[in-house]
Amino acid sequence: MTSLDRNTDAERVYQMIRSALIRLFRLDPARITPESRLADDLEIDSIDAVDLMDEVKRATGRKVGAEEFKSVRTVSDLAQVVERLTRS
Amino acid sequence: MNILSNTPQRLGRGLQCLRRPWRLVTTAVGFAVFGAGCLIVTLVAIPLVRLSPGTAPARRLRLRRLLGLSLRGFLRLMSAVGAIRYEIAGASRLGRPGQLIVANHPTLIDAVFLLGFAPSSSCIVKRALWHNPFTRWPVTAAGYLNNSPTDRMIEEACDALRSGESVIIFPEGTRTVPERPLQFQRGAAAIAVRAATAVTPVFIRCSPPVLMKGDPWYRIPQQRVRFSLEVGTDIDPEPFRRGAPAPIAARQLNDRMLEVFAALARCP
Repeated sequence: MTSLDRNTDAERVYQMIRSALIRLFRLDPARITPESRLADDLEIDSIDAVDLMDEVKRATGRKVGAEEFKSVRTVSDLAQVVERLTRS
Repeated sequence: MNILSNTPQRLGRGLQCLRRPWRLVTTAVGFAVFGAGCLIVTLVAIPLVRLSPGTAPARRLRLRRLLGLSLRGFLRLMSAVGAIRYEIAGASRLGRPGQLIVANHPTLIDAVFLLGFAPSSSCIVKRALWHNPFTRWPVTAAGYLNNSPTDRMIEEACDALRSGESVIIFPEGTRTVPERPLQFQRGAAAIAVRAATAVTPVFIRCSPPVLMKGDPWYRIPQQRVRFSLEVGTDIDPEPFRRGAPAPIAARQLNDRMLEVFAALARCP
C-alpha cells in the first residue's frame, strides 16, 4: 500500500468520525478539526464515547475497546486508532 | 407539684439516654449479622444452588430470590431490635421485564432495600464490592453487573434488559451528597435509551441521615433512623429515543430523571 493510499484511508476515516460527531452530538461542524480534543473541546465523555464507538463499529466493523480509547485525546488520534484497526 | 410533673419526663429522658447505646449495640450486631450472612450465603447457599437442577439463568434467579429473602429478613431483624424503621410504597411495581430501576443513594444500605424488595432484578454494583471478601462471591454468583469499564457495563445492562430482566442502578455512581442538588452520571440514561422498556424511579429518604459516604458506622443519631422508599411513576424512554440520536436522547432523559427526583424530594 502506498503512502498516498494510506493518506486517503486516514482521510476517509477522519471524515467518517467527523460526520458521526455531527450527527450523534449535533456539534457545530466548525468546531471539529483534527486537533479538537474530544473531552476538553467537544465535551465527549466516556458515556458518549460508547455511542461514538458503536457508530465507528457500524461503519467499519471494528470495535475500539475502552482501553484503546483511553489513549485517545484528539479527533485525529481516534482516526489513527480506527485506521490502524481497519488495516489489521 | 413541680416534682410530680417532672418525674415522668425525667424517666423518659432516662430511657432516652439508654436508647442510643442500645442502638449502637444493635447497629454493631447488624453489621456482624450482615457479614455472617454473606459468609453463610457464600459457603452454603451458593454451593447448594449450584447443585440444584435447572439452567444457569434459573439457578441464578433462585439465588437472587434467596438473597432477597435473606435481605428482607435482615431488614426485619434490624427493625425488630429497634435499629431502624422502614416503609416502602409501591414495591409490587418493581421487577418487571426490561425495567430499569433508578434510585438515589443516600446511605450505605440502599441496595439492601432494593435487592430485598426487587429480588429478581440484576444490579449494577461498584467495582470495590467485587473485591470485598464478604460481598464478592454473592455478587458474582447472583450475576450482578460491574460498573467498570463503562462500555461493558452499558452493554451487559442492555443485554440483561433485553433478555427480560430488570436492572437496578444508582445513577449518581456514588453516595448522595446531602444539601446539594442531585447529579446523575449519564450511564443510567444511556442504558435506558438503548434497552429499557420503562424507567422506574425510587426515591430513598433516610432521616436523620446516617451511613453517608465517609460516615463511620458508630455515629448513631439521637433519634431512631427512618428509611422510606417511594416507587415513583414510570418514565417511558420511547419518546426520548424516537426523538434524537442516542447521546442527545440520553441527555434529555437524564434531565427528565433529575426533574422527577427533584419532584419526589419536594413532596414527602
